[in-house]
Amino acid sequence: MIPAVPGPAALSDQDSTALPFLADMYGLQVDQLAALLGLTSRQSRALVARWVSQKLAESGTLSPGPAWVWLTRAGLRAVGARYQTAAPALPRLAHLRAVVAVRLALESVSTYQNAGAHWRSERHLRARSGGRVGGRDHLPDAEVHWPDAPSPGPAPSWAGECWAIEAELTPKTVARTAAIMREVLTRTGDYGCPAAQARVPGAPPRHARVVYLCSPAALGTVARARDVIGSLGARVEIRPLPAGAYLASAR
Amino acid sequence: MTRRTGAVLRAAARLGCAAAVLAVAIGLLPVALVAAIGVAVAWRQGWRPTRLYRAAAWCLPMVTVWLLATVLARHSLWPAADAARFAWLAIWRHGGYLAAAVQSGPAAIPLGLLVAGWAWSRRLASMAAGAGGRSPAAVVSFDARQWRHQVRAARARIAAPGAVPLLTARGDFVAGAVIRAVGHPQATLTRLPADRIRSHQIVIGGTGTGKSTLLLRLWAAFMAAGLARHAAGLAGPPLLVVLDCKGGADARRLADRTRRVLREAGARNVAVWPDAASLSLWDLPPGQLVSTLVDLVEHGTGGAAYYTDVMEAVVSLAVGAPAGPPASTANFLARLEPGWLETAYAGLPEQLLIVRSAARQLPDIALRYRAVFRRLGPGLDGPGDLDDADAWYCILEGTAEVAVAEAQARALVDLLASYVTAARRPTRQVLLAVDEFSAVARRLPIWQLFERARSLGLAVQISAQSWHGLAAREDDRYRLATTAEGGIWLLRTPYPEPVVALAGQHFAVDTTRQLTGWLRWARTGTSRLRQVPVADPELVRALDTGQAAYLYRGGVTFTQVKRLVAGPAALPAQTAARAEPVRVPTAAAAAAPAASPLPAVTAFLDEAFGSWP
Repeated sequence: MIPAVPGPAALSDQDSTALPFLADMYGLQVDQLAALLGLTSRQSRALVARWVSQKLAESGTLSPGPAWVWLTRAGLRAVGARYQTAAPALPRLAHLRAVVAVRLALESVSTYQNAGAHWRSERHLRARSGGRVGGRDHLPDAEVHWPDAPSPGPAPSWAGECWAIEAELTPKTVARTAAIMREVLTRTGDYGCPAAQARVPGAPPRHARVVYLCSPAALGTVARARDVIGSLGARVEIRPLPAGAYLASAR
Repeated sequence: MTRRTGAVLRAAARLGCAAAVLAVAIGLLPVALVAAIGVAVAWRQGWRPTRLYRAAAWCLPMVTVWLLATVLARHSLWPAADAARFAWLAIWRHGGYLAAAVQSGPAAIPLGLLVAGWAWSRRLASMAAGAGGRSPAAVVSFDARQWRHQVRAARARIAAPGAVPLLTARGDFVAGAVIRAVGHPQATLTRLPADRIRSHQIVIGGTGTGKSTLLLRLWAAFMAAGLARHAAGLAGPPLLVVLDCKGGADARRLADRTRRVLREAGARNVAVWPDAASLSLWDLPPGQLVSTLVDLVEHGTGGAAYYTDVMEAVVSLAVGAPAGPPASTANFLARLEPGWLETAYAGLPEQLLIVRSAARQLPDIALRYRAVFRRLGPGLDGPGDLDDADAWYCILEGTAEVAVAEAQARALVDLLASYVTAARRPTRQVLLAVDEFSAVARRLPIWQLFERARSLGLAVQISAQSWHGLAAREDDRYRLATTAEGGIWLLRTPYPEPVVALAGQHFAVDTTRQLTGWLRWARTGTSRLRQVPVADPELVRALDTGQAAYLYRGGVTFTQVKRLVAGPAALPAQTAARAEPVRVPTAAAAAAPAASPLPAVTAFLDEAFGSWP
């Protein structure tokens, strides 16, 4: 039997907010879904149950703590996303939760909402690269685009900038972290652009700054790496990960 | 009695003796079997007789239980004494070999082990005295074979997972498995009390002998034992400072390995200088800073002494200016100008006189210091302090730039000495390890530090490729070697004699034999006592990779060193390139980036994510 594909008409307001978010973030835990939509735990579980019954999403307990939810092929198609369907990879669950928490924290600030800033997820960037991202290329966890002329409110002083977002739960080596910082801060082209445009000498950098959200364990490495890259370090911001960024029993 | 009759009688006596021994062996066959097996195993494993005696002692509980069971069952001890006869009867009447073994085992095993120990000690003694074997040369081949067996047993021991811990439950350091010990206790593992690794030690070994492996183990043990003492409230936290005076890519690889090993030993942070961390020369007390700065510049004697005096006077003025000591290289260099010094000392006629006298030499002195600091790089210009890390791995380019490495070593040692002498509570346990010391030995009089360091709670560990690499002069080498109260580690080296001589000698029996015909040696001869080195120099020369001789208090333990395996986190090759030095950051410092021309986003990010406490 061919499963019925739900059309746009079947989606509610909540769905139109949560499903694209879900598509961009690979998957999230039910407590984060509740935080996103301002629901109670029971309401969010009921919402997930409805998505599962409509075959828009799947749900499962992939890690300690609340259940995870992610979109099926039908769910991705419903929000117009052309990502490959896959359940969140178990080794990346902690990282995925951290990135979702970062996005929720950013989007909760009025400056972000008023500026009309836009979150461009790593899944989106990877899809743009068309799977051509090799072992040597590094994709940030997200980009945040700040429009030049936001419609709702006054433009912040950094309007027009594009930020790279990195969530660091576990420390890499200083050298590797410094190499990533240099790569992100010296990139000039969009992801998925021809290789010749990725780094054009003299062209303005794509990312005005990179914001590192670190666990206490990763802080030292990131800070040392920032110092290692010299003057580029002035464009690196380091902040702690939000409180809800850690998997249960993973902190 | 003719000569021929005498020979026949002697042969008959020997035959009778052999027959009697055979009869006893058959009569006590289980004991003889255990003894034979014991001797064979001891020969195969290169054991000392002590081990067989110890095994016999471990049988005592079994013997006790057996005797008690016999008394309880038979109300007499006689059946136990008659066990051998019962065993034979069981075999003779029923062919019951198993019953015979069970009946005779409790008595035969310890007795057999005792006999094996006695026989094996007789064999070893006769071979050591040169009286055993078919020919005098048999002694040499027997010893070589025993060495191979002992090495094989030691390698098997260190290969067994968990058999060789870094520290024992008592906190003793375990270097590896014992191959052979002379003048030291016969044990299976080379154990050193923890205070030994907090004492001065010397490590000598050529390239590819396993020196780095041994050093890493020693450093990790120092760190682990130090942290344990600190946790117990017995001492301050440990501080390990390694000066790798060789430099180059190898040093970076070793630094990475050291970092991983030390982290597994409990170190929270390991700073690699100058690649990833820096120290500040300008933190030295002014008096020490003057002498360090003067020593950074190579100067001669004779006529050059005048110039040295002028330079010292100028540096003293620059450092001791009323405005306070310089805070950076640029600050110091800016002071080496007549105008600055005259302004600084305005109103102080005595100092102004010196400034005016030295005015002609000031540009030369400034030029020399500019050159020195340019070659030294920014690694000593701060920020940074030895307190920032549990361990510092300092890479000095002693192979490529000897003069620079010498100056850097001098400055780092002065920094450490100043750090140790500063009043600090709790006092840290400090180990300074200087690897490839010969590269900086010319201008680093480490023996001075060696002699007065103990009172400061500082242990110094010197490693060199050879005896001659320890110091430039023979006197200094002996001075270092004789004050190494933590012992000397000797790996394969072609000239071990001076060190081996320090380990002393012991008495050995030397036996001569008489050649009575073609390859026939008489059983008569003479023996005399002679002194031989405790550590055989030929054995040291032939040591394999990973084997070391530990010399301490007139004894030597040949050890198969257990290699430490670190967790995977290798630095990529690009870290080998010199990076700008940085300070090991604190959480508060990390949140404050350098001045940026970009619009400030601090308030926004603080609102979204907060800031570090």
